[in-house]
Amino acid sequence: MSITNKITVKRAEIAVAVILALCSIALMIKSAENRITWNAEENMGAGFLPFYLSLGMLICTVLTIIKFVLKRSPQSKDDSPFIEAEAFKYIAVTIISLVILVLAIGYLGIYFSLIFFLAFYLRYFSSKSILFISVFSLITPVLTFLFFEWLLKIPLPQGISEPLFYPVYDFMYS
Amino acid sequence: MDVFILLLEGIFVSFEPLNLGLLIFGCLIGLFVGAMPGLGSVNGVAILIPITFIIPPTAAIIFLAAVYYGAMYGGAISSVMLGIPGASTAVATVFDGRPLAVKGEAMTALTAAAVGSFVGGTVSVILFTLFAPPLAEVALRFNAPETFALMVMAFATFVGLGGDDVPKTIFSILIGLALSTIGLDLITGKPRLIFFNIPGFLHGINFLVLAIGIYGIGEMLWTLEETKGKVQMSKLSVNMKEVGRAFGALKKTIMAMNIGSFLGFFVGILPAAGATPASLMSYGITKQLSKNSKEFGSGVPAGVVAPECANNSASTGSMLPMLTLGIPGSPTTAILLGGMILWGLTPGPLLFTQEPEFVWGLIGSLYIANFFTLVLNIALIPAFLMVLRIPFAILAPVIFVLCVTGGYAPTQSLHDVWLMLLFGFAGYILRKLDYPVAPAVLSIVLGPLAEKALRQSLILSDGSMGIFFDMAEKPIAAIIMYIAIVLLIMPAFGPLYKKFFKKAQTT
Repeated sequence: MSITNKITVKRAEIAVAVILALCSIALMIKSAENRITWNAEENMGAGFLPFYLSLGMLICTVLTIIKFVLKRSPQSKDDSPFIEAEAFKYIAVTIISLVILVLAIGYLGIYFSLIFFLAFYLRYFSSKSILFISVFSLITPVLTFLFFEWLLKIPLPQGISEPLFYPVYDFMYS
Repeated sequence: MDVFILLLEGIFVSFEPLNLGLLIFGCLIGLFVGAMPGLGSVNGVAILIPITFIIPPTAAIIFLAAVYYGAMYGGAISSVMLGIPGASTAVATVFDGRPLAVKGEAMTALTAAAVGSFVGGTVSVILFTLFAPPLAEVALRFNAPETFALMVMAFATFVGLGGDDVPKTIFSILIGLALSTIGLDLITGKPRLIFFNIPGFLHGINFLVLAIGIYGIGEMLWTLEETKGKVQMSKLSVNMKEVGRAFGALKKTIMAMNIGSFLGFFVGILPAAGATPASLMSYGITKQLSKNSKEFGSGVPAGVVAPECANNSASTGSMLPMLTLGIPGSPTTAILLGGMILWGLTPGPLLFTQEPEFVWGLIGSLYIANFFTLVLNIALIPAFLMVLRIPFAILAPVIFVLCVTGGYAPTQSLHDVWLMLLFGFAGYILRKLDYPVAPAVLSIVLGPLAEKALRQSLILSDGSMGIFFDMAEKPIAAIIMYIAIVLLIMPAFGPLYKKFFKKAQTT
């Protein structure tokens, strides 16, 4: 049995509800670092709203869990896979490559990271030629640069590649 | 008469070169965004809002409204040609649009969709022009308690009319509100919910981070799963004879146009409703009232006109509460409202007196955008078909690039990009488990405004919640609050009603 068959909608429903309940409790504890009381003399404490909003979230997740236990929600009776095996490949590779992209942006800078991201993604999922992938992966960051840095004047992160852009800036602003 | 003069001025504003250029560009982008499976107006507006920071607010709202409008038209293209709705607002268009395309009458379906959208858009913008000024005048009398009551009603509408699982809907509203409290407390200035002492949380969570995460990253993951990059396009022959025949088929759709236009507008005004339920309701009612109701689903033009008329009409309708009350009528208008705050405007009725050029420029642009979108829609059908042939494996990374850069640009912080990814992944999983995500986006936009109104009200009342229920002192706030309570408890009576109805049918 593959991992995608083991994770059924039913299991995902209860797992997510429990995780959300735990997150709600964590939010309540964090909110309580500020005053969570409210009265006419002191008005509302800074933690009051987040605390009671998180409490409301906790109650909602508990209700979802109760509905699950009583088999009142459609998900509680659904034994089909939460995600199909073929789709799982698309989703998992996309999520991992996006995480690596953002990690790389902090180090390599956005433009070089985008080149690698696009080249990998297109090579992995599309049947396009190496030439198409190379041109596409190079043109997209160039257009991104022109749009943000030249047109909008918004500098995007460049990491260790920053010195490579100095001549371009000299040309742009001279 | 005043309204007519203001409208004329608004139309002149939208004809200014920058505004007109952006309007046409917005219509074009909207059409493409709407035509792409998985992308709709809300995704387009969320992803494109960061690029409006360098243009004046009037040009920005005209551009984004045109994107919104264009996407409503464009959604029908993939519904008809691929059998996959371009956006949720075009789901009902598939029911008859796709069978028409399969029968070889794709041009009839596309023309019906375009003309239906035009009629719906025109009727709704006229209604908008008539309703907006008096509603804004009433809203000018609103103070903090009325504003807060209105926001509670907006949240309650999701519970009462949203039709989703109630605990999950309330959870979605509350998490959006909780996220909006992150950062510095607006009264005491104390930092709240600064997780792991990460300084990025001190400036709060920008609504765009959540919106791009959910509607950009999350939606793409959803679409990748649904389509796996495989789509089957119908054949289409485009010539004047086909277009003429398609227009001829529209004679039998007058009733669908009327239902879609009026129903769409009024459903669009409701905060939880918007264009998707409007189009589904319009399709359902037109089918019920039609003499040929049995033919619906097998490919009748009225089945395309009804939802398309309604979704365009609803998109204009949803802007009415946004402009007059500062309450968005749909997820897209929630993002537009957030945009107004970013551009330094205060959403609400004061806009009509303080920023008439902005308000009437937008209203005037809706008339113009409606016309341009109709023309562009029909003229560019071959171009849209070329775009639809782009494999999703190529389109998806481009959207991801736009999301990452769009998430970074407003605050220039990688912290926000990480949050956006987190919201995107979480939104994808929650959506798969039927947690509605739109209430969270609405809440994060309205959260700071609601908190301010609540705390101002409580200062006024020396801390008493009675200020919201005092029929003598604050009748408007009280009435709105009671409506909100009815909406909140309405789902509890749903099963009872069904039980009673079943019993009555069997006896």
